[in-house]
Formats: sequence, structure tokens, C-alpha cells
Amino acid sequence: MSASTAPFKVRYQRSVGDPDLKPRLLAFQRSWRESRDAQVRRLEQRTEQSFHELRRDFAAVKDSTLERIDDYIAEFRANAEAAGATVVELSTAEEAVSYIAAICQSRGIDLVVKSKSMVSEEIELNHELEQQGITAIETDLGEWLLQLAEERPSHLVMPAIHQKRQYVAEILGEELGREFDPDDIPAMVASARDGLRRHYLSAGAGLTGANALIAETGSIMVVTNEGNMRLATSLPEVHFVTAGIEKLIPTWADAERQLQLLPRSATAQTLSTYTTCITGAQPGKEMHIILLDNGRRAMRETDTIGDALRCIRCGACANVCPPYQIVGGHTFGHIYTGAIGLVNTTFHHGVDHAAGPQGLCVSCGACQTVCPVDIPLPMQILEVRQRAHESGHAPLWERIALRLWAKPRLFHHLMGLAAAGSGIGRLVGLVRRDHLRLPLPRRLRWRSVPALPLRSGQTLVKSRPPLQPLTETPSAGRTVELFAQCLADRLLPTAVDSAAKLIEAGGASINLPDSQHCCGLPAFDAGDWDTARRMAKHTIETLEGSEHQIVTPAPSCVISMQDHWPCLFQDDPEWRSRAAAVSRRVHDLADWLEGPGRLPDGCLSNGDSHAWTAHRFCQASNRNDARARIDQLVERLTGETARPLEEPDVCCGFGGLTSLAAPEVGSGILERKLACVAESGCDTLITNNPGCVIHLRAGANASGARHHTLHYADFLAARLPKNP
Amino acid sequence: MNTLSDRTAVFAEGLRAAQGELVACRSWDDVWKHAVSLSAERPAVSPAAYEYLKQGDLPDVNDPLRSIADRAIGITQAQLAIAETGSVLLIEPAPIDRAVSLLTKHLIVAISEQDIVDELADGFGWLAQQPQAAAYATFVTGPSRTADIERSLTIGVQGPSRMTVAVLA
Repeated sequence: MSASTAPFKVRYQRSVGDPDLKPRLLAFQRSWRESRDAQVRRLEQRTEQSFHELRRDFAAVKDSTLERIDDYIAEFRANAEAAGATVVELSTAEEAVSYIAAICQSRGIDLVVKSKSMVSEEIELNHELEQQGITAIETDLGEWLLQLAEERPSHLVMPAIHQKRQYVAEILGEELGREFDPDDIPAMVASARDGLRRHYLSAGAGLTGANALIAETGSIMVVTNEGNMRLATSLPEVHFVTAGIEKLIPTWADAERQLQLLPRSATAQTLSTYTTCITGAQPGKEMHIILLDNGRRAMRETDTIGDALRCIRCGACANVCPPYQIVGGHTFGHIYTGAIGLVNTTFHHGVDHAAGPQGLCVSCGACQTVCPVDIPLPMQILEVRQRAHESGHAPLWERIALRLWAKPRLFHHLMGLAAAGSGIGRLVGLVRRDHLRLPLPRRLRWRSVPALPLRSGQTLVKSRPPLQPLTETPSAGRTVELFAQCLADRLLPTAVDSAAKLIEAGGASINLPDSQHCCGLPAFDAGDWDTARRMAKHTIETLEGSEHQIVTPAPSCVISMQDHWPCLFQDDPEWRSRAAAVSRRVHDLADWLEGPGRLPDGCLSNGDSHAWTAHRFCQASNRNDARARIDQLVERLTGETARPLEEPDVCCGFGGLTSLAAPEVGSGILERKLACVAESGCDTLITNNPGCVIHLRAGANASGARHHTLHYADFLAARLPKNP
Repeated sequence: MNTLSDRTAVFAEGLRAAQGELVACRSWDDVWKHAVSLSAERPAVSPAAYEYLKQGDLPDVNDPLRSIADRAIGITQAQLAIAETGSVLLIEPAPIDRAVSLLTKHLIVAISEQDIVDELADGFGWLAQQPQAAAYATFVTGPSRTADIERSLTIGVQGPSRMTVAVLA
């Protein structure tokens, strides 16, 4: 069984055991990011439109086309057939394979040369044709290398990105019967030209995909770099086109809009080398255009998933994905890879094939920020996760943990026990730098286990007198409900207390609603929406008793309340409106400190000058929350300038339960983050989400890094004048 | 050498970014002289370019691709060029039209300076206005390339490994 077709667990173990994969994909992601950003900046300057506007406009084209897909298919068919092509609409992979095989057999064709086509991968065409005595040869270099190695693509546009040049030299040597120097890449490329030439000349059919199907003329548009597609469509007598129905666009002008976004997002090229538009069969030749459904109409009918049909297969979502960088596309995907692969696999290949890969998503939201058609991938992946959970794919420990978490009193008692245990640990010398020295299994040693402080955040707030106001703010005299966050309350209690102090410094007084617990985020994030609903209802009941504004030091809870609650209660109007009434009142602490509780510039300057830098909570940052730029708030209040941190918005690897279920993914992403922190030369790292603080601190502890990790509330509150 | 207009300068920049080269010519005669200066082998010429050049080897109608495969120099003519991207638009309905641009090693594409348009949208606008959609239209942006082995950019795969656009004043 090859590396790419083995069961998920085997693929996972193989990819995390490959020492070369991570550094190679990291270098790729960073260089892509730089050149893609430069391309997008130039595009924005030239068009005087933002990337967001450009993608919104093209997404609207895709959406309106998909709404009337049957009309556009009819228009395309009429025009393509008038130009001599045959257009067939097929529902399943089997039908598509049979159609192609039947044409080949009736024309006596036993060799098909292929240009890159993801749909042909989707239907596993090569394998199926082989069964019927028809040989299909890939002519795109990357695809050919995969075929020789019996592998699947690990990236949508760079299919063989996982292969090392030494491996390439080996498989080419085997195929062509001569030795290759792994360092002589041009010689290996040249061998593809020679090795494939004879196939073009003897093939009876050429097969291509299509980047777009232009309805107004029945034309196909294909974007390539190597020139193989032009050969495959020029020599053989029959031309097959395999394309999903979502590739339809109305006009040539729309094709141009797509090209503004596609090559820049895919390979960071202004335009790929060859953009070929073909209309109809060439004189004396045949052209068969296969329009495939294979789950696409079912996608369109699914509320949160339908937008995934906008996808133009650029692969950008993989290029910014932190887990993809750790495991590569053979693990982070099935046949389709990257974030989009986690979503559409469910519909093309079934939820069982999507279940493993989707579990690696850390929900950082980076994918959507670069998607040229603005697909809400993060939310779609959570929808797939819920389906996987419902089909019984969640591990038992996870289900038990969430059930326990969902019970506020039980959770409270368990945490009390853990705090007492930590206290004993301190006494007997099992705690070093606030973390327990436990004999962890090797897989989990990269992150220490935090020792729980004895007193919770809420206890800290209640056990001290209120702070004297530092200044008058619009919030002066008002009462603020503090939502501590379950995790911070027990594991990062000082951040809860510091948040309270900063609110009090603005003149407001704190109320801690009784029996507050968890907004439901951990369960929602794990796909267990029933449990998430129970937890959300509990929080709503706790918080809906007053009209006061609610503030939390945890931006993840704000996102949960504002973005996830509407999903949880989409079929329940009563709870939906109760949830909305609460979430409208919720503020992230940073938002509060810039808004109603705005503290004046420099008010927390105490003459100290730390070497500090800031990691921005990825989910908030990628959601484009202005307040996620926590460094700006801290600079404004303290007058101290942050030192630059590379990749400040890239995930730290916490990813909720993902870092427990896939520890190698969590540790790999953490390593990337800690390397950037070390590079910054800072002794203090601040960030804005309690989960990130706990994770980054525990990771730094395990790796022996010397910097301090703080919630920014703690960093700021330490600068408040001491009460008289 | 001609002084190139602003639009041509933008085109030259885009072409250079795509590893293509630009040569300014006063006439088709200059294009031919440039071609023969590059190699001792006789250039292959597409039907479109042959109309102007009246010299060079046309591909064989019956076996167009094989007849000029791996020829050192090919000369063809573009319909339009796009300043924004450094691309040329080739209209090549039949295999014989495509042979030269597909399989020669160094492709020379001739274009009149007045046929350089600003943006890709202008090129697509031209395509959309054709009374009958072009059977086989290709925007070519530089020589063929791949980065499929360890992302290492390698110029010249199945298509030409060098490309020069000859801009006719």
C-alpha cells in the first residue's frame, strides 16, 4: 500500500515520522506567502480595489452561476455542441469512468495521455481504466512522478511537493533505466520531456481538466505551466475533458476575473505560462466534455457547505495552514488536500475518509483569509467535524472529557481536586516553574502539565477590595459582568483578576455572575454540538439576568458566542434570540479597554522597559478583529514598543482538543512559534487568549525556553498603581 | 533600436519577470535576421508568420508536430500582447498552427507594437468580441516551466525553453 492510500492512522504516523517534510513545507509556505502577498499588493494597486473586494465580486459571480447551474449547463452544452463537442452530464464517478472507457474501447484506444485533472484524481480514473486494459499516462511532471511512485497528489497545484529530489532521482532512474544525479534537477526535468514524448505520439486520446467552463461560447479554459496540456490536446484524435459542474462561469469577462485571482493565489504568478481556451472539437477530431456531479449538488443543498463550490482549486488554503505544514497533504486530506479537501471529501468520497484529516484542523481560520473566493472554510470544517462526530468518529476519551466538562459542579470539584493535588505536588517538590514534573509518555513530553493554583480567578477577584479608579471613562459608575472563562478561571486565575482590575481602573465595578462556567466552545470545536448546546444554554441562563455589559479576558469565548451560538441554535428561534441578546452584550477585554472602558494613552507607563513581543490569538486575528492586534493596545497604554515577531498571527498550536488528539501537530506548530519567539530575542511574550497563554507557557517550560509568557492583562495590571 | 512607448515598457517588464526576452525590430526582415543569428539551423515558421516572412520551414501539414519537433528556432506571430502580464495571445486553430509554438526550443513571437494592449481584460475583450469563438487561443507568458521537483524553478519542459518577443515598430 502506497504512502498516500494507506488508512489515515498509518498516513499520519508516516508523515510525522518524516524528518524532512516539516522544514520543506515550512520553507514553501513562507516563500509562497511572501511572493503571493507581493502579487496581491500589485493587483490591488492596479485595480484600485482591495483583495477583499476583488474576491467578493468573483465569489458573487460563482454564487449566481451556481444558483442557476442547470441553465448555465444548458447554455454551455448548446454552444459547445454547436462547435462540435459532445457534452455529457454524469452523476457518479463510476458513470464517468465507464463513459471514458466505452469511448476508448469503441475507438480502439489503449493509451490516454493526461494533463493534470483533479476530477480524474477524484474518480481514480487511472486505476479504473487500467482494470479495463487502457493505460493512462500523466504528462504533468509532478503527476507523472506520482504515477511512477503510485502516490496521490499531496497538494492541489504542487502535487509532488512531498517528494525529495533523491527520491525523484530514484523513481526516474527506475523508469528510464539510467542514473540521475539528485542535485541536477534540470537533467531530471529534461528526462521527462524525452520520456513522455513517445507517449504523445502514440496516444489515441488526450485528457485534460478545466479551470473554467465558459457558458456563452461553450469553451473550456485551462491554466498550465509546462506545455504538456497543449501537446495532449494537439496530437491525439480524441480529447476528453473532465470537470465538475461548479467550473461553469457565464462569460469570457468572468474568465478574466478568475484569472486575476487564480495564478496569483496558486503559484504567485501574474499569469501562468499557458492559459489555453478551447472551443469545440478540432476538424476531424472528437471532443467529449464530461460534467461531473459526484456529490456537488448535495453540497449546494447543504447550508454551510454550499459556498465550497466556489473553489477554483488554487491550493492557497493549504499554503497558510499550520497543520498542513506539519503533516503534508497525504495526511491533511484524502484525494483533495488542504482545508478545502477536509470539506469536499465528505461529499465526493464520504465522511469516513474526511474524519481523520478534519480532526487535524486547529480552527485558526488562516485558510479563509487567503481564499480568493472567500469560502468560509473554518466553519465548514467544523460542520464536517460535527458529521464525523455523529458518525461515531470521536475518540472515547474526548467524549468522556466533554461530558465531564459540561457539568459545572462536577467540573468545579474535579478542578478543586486538581488544585489540591498541585498543592501537594508543590510541597513534595514535583512542581518546577509552575508546572508538574510528571512522567509523561514520549508523545506528550513537549508540553508540561501546568500546576493548578489553589485559588480560582473568581476567588481572587472576590477576596480583594475594589481598585480605586485610575481615570474617568465612559464606563465610570457602571457595573460590568465579568465572564472569567472556565479555562482561565482555574489555570490562569491572575488574568481574570487582572482583567477585573483594568476594568475597575476605568471606574466601573465588577460583578461575577454566579455559577458561570463554559460557553460551549470546547464541545462545539470537537463536533459535539449537543453537549455544546447544553453548555451554551447554561451560560446564557447565567448571563441573561441583567442588562449590564459583559467583559471577558478570553476572545475565544467572544467568537464562540457571536459565531458559534447562531449555528447551535439555527433551528431553535427562542434560544437563538436569547443567545443573541447575550452575545450582543459581550466584549473582549481589549475591545473594552479601547471602547467604553478606554484607558488613556501612557497611563500604564511605569518607566520599565521590557524586551517584549506579542503573539496575536490567531482566530481573532484571522477573523479580522481590529482588537486582535494586542501589541498596539499594550504599546498605547504603556508607551513601550513591542519588538517585532515573525508570523505574529500564525497559530501557536493549541487548537483546543486537537493538540491532545494529534500531539505531533500541536508540538510541530508550537515549535514554529517558539522559534519565532526565540528569534525576537524577547524575554517576555504576551498574548491575548488564555488557552494560548497556558499552551505557550507549558511548551516553553518543556523546551527549557527562558522567556516569560503572560496574558496581556497581567502585563498591564502589573503597571497599575498599587492601592494605598 | 526604437524608443519603446510606455505600454511597451510595461510589457517588457512583465515579459522579463516571466523569463522572456524582448527584441525591438523595424521590420519582419529584422525578425528573420535575429532568428538566423541565433542558430545555424533553419528556423521553423508558423503559417501565420510565413505570410510575412516568405521564408523558413513550414511544418508538414500531415504530421506537423513531428516534422519540426526540437527545431532550434521557431517563429510565429501573435494576435495581441498584454502589457500587464507580459503575455502574447496566439490564435492557433489547427495543429499545424500550434506546431511551432509547442515544440521548438527557442520561440520567437512577432507582434506589432500597436497590438500591445494594457490589460488582460482587453485581451479577453477581444476574444469575447469574435463573431465565432476562437477554436484554440492561448495566452503565452514566457517559456514553459515547472517547479514540480522541490519547487526548484526549471525553465523548459514540454514547451520552448527560451522565448523572445520581437516587437515590430
